[in-house]
Amino acid sequence: MFEKIKKDFTTMTWVLIPVAIAINIAIGQIVVLLKLPVFLDSIGTVLVGIVAGPWAGALTGALSNTIWGLFNPDSLPWWPVAFFIGLVAGLCANAGLFKNWWKVILSGFLIALTAAIVSTPISVYLYGGITASGSSFITAYLLQTGQGVLSAVLSTGFLVEPVDKITTAMLAFVIVQGLSKRLVARFPRPENAEVESGNNTTQIIIALVVVVVVVALGFVVRNMLAG
Amino acid sequence: MHERLSFFVKRDSALHHLNPLTKIVLALSIILVSIFSPWYWTSHGLLLVVIVPLVFIGKVANEYFTSALRLILPAAGFIFFMQAFFQPIGQTVIFNFWFLDITQESLLFAFRIATRITVMISAFTLFLLTTHPSELMSDLTRRGLPPQFAYVIISTLQILPQMQAKAQTIIAAQRSRGLDTESTFFKRIGSVVPLVSPLVFGSLVEVEERAIAIEARGFTSKKAKTSLYEISDRSSDKFIRWGLVILVIISIVLKLWLS
Repeated sequence: MFEKIKKDFTTMTWVLIPVAIAINIAIGQIVVLLKLPVFLDSIGTVLVGIVAGPWAGALTGALSNTIWGLFNPDSLPWWPVAFFIGLVAGLCANAGLFKNWWKVILSGFLIALTAAIVSTPISVYLYGGITASGSSFITAYLLQTGQGVLSAVLSTGFLVEPVDKITTAMLAFVIVQGLSKRLVARFPRPENAEVESGNNTTQIIIALVVVVVVVALGFVVRNMLAG
Repeated sequence: MHERLSFFVKRDSALHHLNPLTKIVLALSIILVSIFSPWYWTSHGLLLVVIVPLVFIGKVANEYFTSALRLILPAAGFIFFMQAFFQPIGQTVIFNFWFLDITQESLLFAFRIATRITVMISAFTLFLLTTHPSELMSDLTRRGLPPQFAYVIISTLQILPQMQAKAQTIIAAQRSRGLDTESTFFKRIGSVVPLVSPLVFGSLVEVEERAIAIEARGFTSKKAKTSLYEISDRSSDKFIRWGLVILVIISIVLKLWLS
């Protein structure tokens, strides 16, 4: 078991992790500036999960939130969520779920379910269900209709997370496909990123179209809920 | 350019001379006690009786209160309003707006959560202000943390400012060839791809070069490395650490016993 995990942590992996954390933070901050209806703060984590396996992804996630906590203290308590995002992304990649665009939607969905389940106890225990994120508006509404805290937080998670995590998984897939084959082959698990059918340019284009559609859907849903 | 992202302020104080591990244990136990303590006023007390005096002992009052105004107050204030409005508890309605009402109970609850968040962030800020990141990492490596972890953390702190500088270069370069980066919303969205993709792909391509460079300097070598700096760890440090651990255990036991 440990020998297997150790094999994923080559020098390439150790060097990739800081870069992935920086990508998480850089893209996450740009998205905040643009006021998009997603967070996209775990693209780097999913990326490491794909090319270096689940444990490297999990480590990236946990460290990413800890370091982000230096200048955005609110992200600190959520490190277990990021840990599981990386872990599940890596497991999906090992199962071959990052090999073409519709499988990536499936892994994005699985990551979203995990994130919703893991974040619920943190949100309920630490914040009483109402966190600093904008989606707490939905939770508050559900609480007013008489639902319990646990089920209100969980249903909000199931509503909000898929949009974000499917976009994240898609963009991580696009980045991996955009890298040269020679570079990807230097990472521990290059086979996870091989495209099954068709060439990867078409896969990239389809994936980008899916991203635009999903984000647009997110916009529509948010505006419906707000108005 | 090779500036490191760090909040460390070099001063000569009792807090600065403590061992880094003692300071991290101190911050964590303040956070854990404020989460687990069964009494309503514990967090408020911790803030006034423990954190504020420590800030003055550590001689970082200026820096702490600036960051409190800039970082902590907005975060805690936002949480306070969210909680006060959205928590559906309590009977005594003070203020009503649409389907949301502020009750006496929800105000008290909001005050508690907001103070708890303030305590958590303050403890962490105090630790960052008085501890140099490299000092912390070399101390933890000496105690058995794999050196690769230390590499990841220190290297991330170095890469972030570098990436910011690179982003500025890319923005300038794309503007000089006529990319619209500051007009309407949709034009700005359209300019995200030509700005972000060189940044992301550029840094990923550098990974291989970096890996070769650090491997050539013995990164994977199993031999014990010697350190340039000695980090003090006095017996008083050990005494403080164990005292804090016992305090945390007491508060968890009290919480389980009283609830």
